[in-house]
Amino acid sequence: MEQQYIKPPVEVRYAEELKALEQSDTGRKPENWRLSPKAVRTFILGGTADTPDGKVKIRRKFYGNDPLVERCIITLAGSRGLMLVGEPGTAKTMLSELLSAACCGTSTNTVQGTAGTTEDLIKYGWNYALLLAKGPCREALVPAPLLVGMEKGIFVRFEEMTRTPAEVQDCLISVMSDRIMNIPELGDDGIVMARRGFNIIGTANTRDKGVNEMSGALKRRFNFETVAPIKDVALEKEIILRETEDLAREGHIDMPVDRDIVELLAVTYHELREGRTSEGTVVERPASVMSTAEAVSVCFQTMSHAWYYGGGKTDVGILTENLIGAVCKEEQSDIEKLKAYFRTAVRQKAEKVGGAWIAYSETEGSLR
Amino acid sequence: MDSILGNGRLAQINEISGGLLRYDPEGRLMLFPVRHHSPVCSYQLIRAIDEFSPTVILVEGPENANDLIPVLTAEDTELPAAIYYFYKDKGGLINDLGQDYRCYYPFLTASPEYNALREGRKRGIPARFIDLPFCEILINTSENSGLCRPDERVSYADDAKLTRSDIYKALCEKTSVSSFDEFWEKYFEIEGLRLSAEEYYYALHSYCIMNRETENISAMTEDGTLVRERHMALRIREALDSGERVLAVTGGFHSSGIAELLSEGKIKPVRLHKIPADRQGCFPAAYSYEAADSLNGYSAGMNSPAYYDNVMKRLLSGEDKSSVFDSCSLDLLVRTADEASKKDSPVTISDTSAAESLMKGLAALRNISQCGLAEVRDGVTSAFIKGEMSPSYDMPLRILARLASGDAVGRIGDKTFQPPLVADFEKQCASHRLKISDSVQHESDVSLFSGKSGLALSRLFHRLDFLRTGFCVLAKGPDLHSGADRNRVREIWQYRRVPQVDSVLIDRTADGFTIAEACTSAAARALDGQHKSAQTAQTAVDCFLMGIPLTDEQYLSVLGSIDGDGDIFSLGNALECFSRLCSLQELYGFLDTDYKKLLSRCMEKLIYLLPYSADPPRESAARLTSIMRSMYSIAARLLPHLCPDLEKALDTMISRQQKEPTVYGTAMGLLYSFDSSRRSDAESALRGYLNGSAGIRKLGADYLCGLFTSAGDIVLADDVFLKMTDELITGFDSNDFLEILPPLKLAFSRFTPSEIRSIAHRIAQSYSSDGNDILFGEAVDEALYLFGQSIDREVISQLGGADK
Repeated sequence: MEQQYIKPPVEVRYAEELKALEQSDTGRKPENWRLSPKAVRTFILGGTADTPDGKVKIRRKFYGNDPLVERCIITLAGSRGLMLVGEPGTAKTMLSELLSAACCGTSTNTVQGTAGTTEDLIKYGWNYALLLAKGPCREALVPAPLLVGMEKGIFVRFEEMTRTPAEVQDCLISVMSDRIMNIPELGDDGIVMARRGFNIIGTANTRDKGVNEMSGALKRRFNFETVAPIKDVALEKEIILRETEDLAREGHIDMPVDRDIVELLAVTYHELREGRTSEGTVVERPASVMSTAEAVSVCFQTMSHAWYYGGGKTDVGILTENLIGAVCKEEQSDIEKLKAYFRTAVRQKAEKVGGAWIAYSETEGSLR
Repeated sequence: MDSILGNGRLAQINEISGGLLRYDPEGRLMLFPVRHHSPVCSYQLIRAIDEFSPTVILVEGPENANDLIPVLTAEDTELPAAIYYFYKDKGGLINDLGQDYRCYYPFLTASPEYNALREGRKRGIPARFIDLPFCEILINTSENSGLCRPDERVSYADDAKLTRSDIYKALCEKTSVSSFDEFWEKYFEIEGLRLSAEEYYYALHSYCIMNRETENISAMTEDGTLVRERHMALRIREALDSGERVLAVTGGFHSSGIAELLSEGKIKPVRLHKIPADRQGCFPAAYSYEAADSLNGYSAGMNSPAYYDNVMKRLLSGEDKSSVFDSCSLDLLVRTADEASKKDSPVTISDTSAAESLMKGLAALRNISQCGLAEVRDGVTSAFIKGEMSPSYDMPLRILARLASGDAVGRIGDKTFQPPLVADFEKQCASHRLKISDSVQHESDVSLFSGKSGLALSRLFHRLDFLRTGFCVLAKGPDLHSGADRNRVREIWQYRRVPQVDSVLIDRTADGFTIAEACTSAAARALDGQHKSAQTAQTAVDCFLMGIPLTDEQYLSVLGSIDGDGDIFSLGNALECFSRLCSLQELYGFLDTDYKKLLSRCMEKLIYLLPYSADPPRESAARLTSIMRSMYSIAARLLPHLCPDLEKALDTMISRQQKEPTVYGTAMGLLYSFDSSRRSDAESALRGYLNGSAGIRKLGADYLCGLFTSAGDIVLADDVFLKMTDELITGFDSNDFLEILPPLKLAFSRFTPSEIRSIAHRIAQSYSSDGNDILFGEAVDEALYLFGQSIDREVISQLGGADK
């Protein structure tokens, strides 16, 4: 199955790990959860699972803030929804997928919030042919993710919630309060009560803050967690390396990830995001999002180029060219900021550290 | 616990130093390891005292404070309290700098050391400190290491060694906790309560020995660890030799070191120095949770002292240990919710309930038997913060941190050992009837010149302000530093005795035993660090306001700063300060310092520098002209013997090729003031500007500005300057006129309204008009005026070019 899809869902991608954890799980489970909170923690933060066939290593999938993951798990076992907020590219969506897959066995019961999202895309719609033929009946009802989640007792993932108009968001209030959805068209049969295990994981990026601010009433029904960018450059490097390796494996690119490229990218992204180099020089932050996910994408792009055109040899010049596309999206001045970074930080590192930084510094000319 | 710290540790501990670290209730020595401010450490220590029944309790702490133990443990002393140690290295035993050193040894309800002393008192067992006296610790420590650091607030209770190695990181990783604080709370506080005293003793020894194994000998020599351990071991040996059953309470890091020394047999005593009593000492002091926390973090004991003190208080009152952390955490959560709601960050009952259930869930997930501070933080983070974690939303977390840290202040019951500076402060406040028995803000209206008491009170306030005690703020009154509001004869002070006032006064004890002495030392220190005359002059003003004469050394220091200062602006500020002090000396009844000599030295230096300052940057010209005017006025009033030198300097100044026009004008004006016959020089200078190119003509406005600033009467004497000014103005076209308008307006702003009227009248006469027409008549439309002007020009040109 993994072979057939560009991006298989988490429960497919990590099916073996989930199975091993399920087999070894002796902890208490909230009703209708696939794994216990302790096993969910192990699935996300890594560890081992003792199966009848021996110990299975569980890979760490989320880095940076272990207590946050623990809080998320416990929140989902309670009566409140979970709202993950943070800068774009901080792995909010990935975390919500991991949580859904581990707790409910599925991460695909999702609403994608946009300016055009309406209530029927969240709650339920109608098959109009059947509606006209048979009138309002259960058969004519098309359940949307919220209704599916309630009926099956699984999580609903609501992506980019603050991009959805506030009045549409508010349709969640009554469901989250009473755990009941009323479908008036169905009369007495229209009361749907949520099964145990139902909950909502929302995500919202802080750049959208103010587009459609959540109402106070809705906020009260969620616990908020802020997912921050990774502060440790060594950890960021490790994430870029691992994620790129995964992408390469999935894309059948059979070559090792160039560690120098990863180092250059991790440091560049980290320093541009923080606005300060490791030497203490202040650099201007680009308006674009300097997320780890973007760095992974640039790294994979550079690797793909090497695989298809470079005979398996990674070219630092291509890395710089890819960097332009990734960094200079929002404002024209971002290219100047990137140039300034090369003039100051990269040159300095080329002198002090040497190695791959020298070649990287020499590609400054391609920044046009 | 054994599995976390490594199996076999117990056996290792029992083997160390011939079994001296073995937990043996029947033995003669127990070396109990502690972490400062740890409530469960205290709890287990009390249990160990019960089981061991010592005949003497020895506690890590500088032994020169042994006399203060009864004061600290007295019923009427309220914690937090501290022992304040100071040492003045006037004999140069530490280095050649002769610096003063100080440190606090804080005691909270949760401090094991305090509980050991208190148990001693309760059971009638002698208890005493066994560490080297504070001064000896410093003498035996390398500079910038251990307690011998230049930090303002060094704590004796330094826990840095517990987290210095990477061991705690490995343990955190192994146990899936994110920080040392969480690791400690989980295993040594919450789970530590479930252990017996013996199990706890071994667990803590295990952790500390692991840490010590990674420490190198040279680092321990440098920071004085080894020499202190030798002294502590010696004191323990002495007690053992006299037949006592000894319970020694020391930081866990030291225990194995001390055991090793004791097992080696003879211990070489540390050589102690004879230090005069006035150069070293210690006092009991009221302390605050806030200060205890700011010293904390990884380096000095547990953080959030109020929270852990609450745990200890409940344990002491006999509360069930299996729920004590749960109840303290819930109490903290509810108080946080309550406070947050009062501060416009509403927290509902539902939020509090969600936070509590989250805390319990997290404790279960983390395998902790009770909720600790980490769980409260997580509960608040998740359930109380409704948005992105940012300063706009994280108020509940800030409230939680404040409540966990605490804001209570202790009190020392027995005043016998009250720090002298605090005693002097209270005495002086009492003599001036200032209300200091509460922490409410009061106001005092001080009449400066109606009697001696007013000035004395003002000086007390200024002294306390200078010492930065935070006791008082001057709300209204003359400001002699800037020269503002000098007409005021009263000062209004707002004052309030908050705990920080006492803390600062105790801190300042190293500076002197009275407030006056402390101010003198502080002023001397301030002058030492200042090299610009403007700064030393400000300190001299402080001393003047405080009624503290400059000592000979300080006086020379001020003179030195003037001699060494090459900055004309700094010297100008100093000149104005000293001039103010000279004028007010008699009024303030403060004739102890010769300010005139300082003034004269300033003036001489300025006269020397003046000729070189003819062309300052344009933005500094205004300040320079103001200094030049001050120089003239001060020389004429107070230093007439320097007038010829000033005149000569101005002469040299104007002879310079490059001159800033405003400065030039000011210099010409001052020379005219010295000698009215030099009027023609001022005229020809202006003529020079008039005859120049358009650019030079524009500078004429600046010249006039400077000239009128220093000698406004020059324009009133006759019409020559007025006509030249008129010529200057009418020579500009419309755009240029708008450009020079600001300096011209500034130039004429120096005149009084009656002088302006007189000038207007004379200009009007020269145009055959009435002054009133110009001042009060209807303004002519600019376009109409320009049209008339062009007709005039055309007529003149048609008449034969009379304008050529």
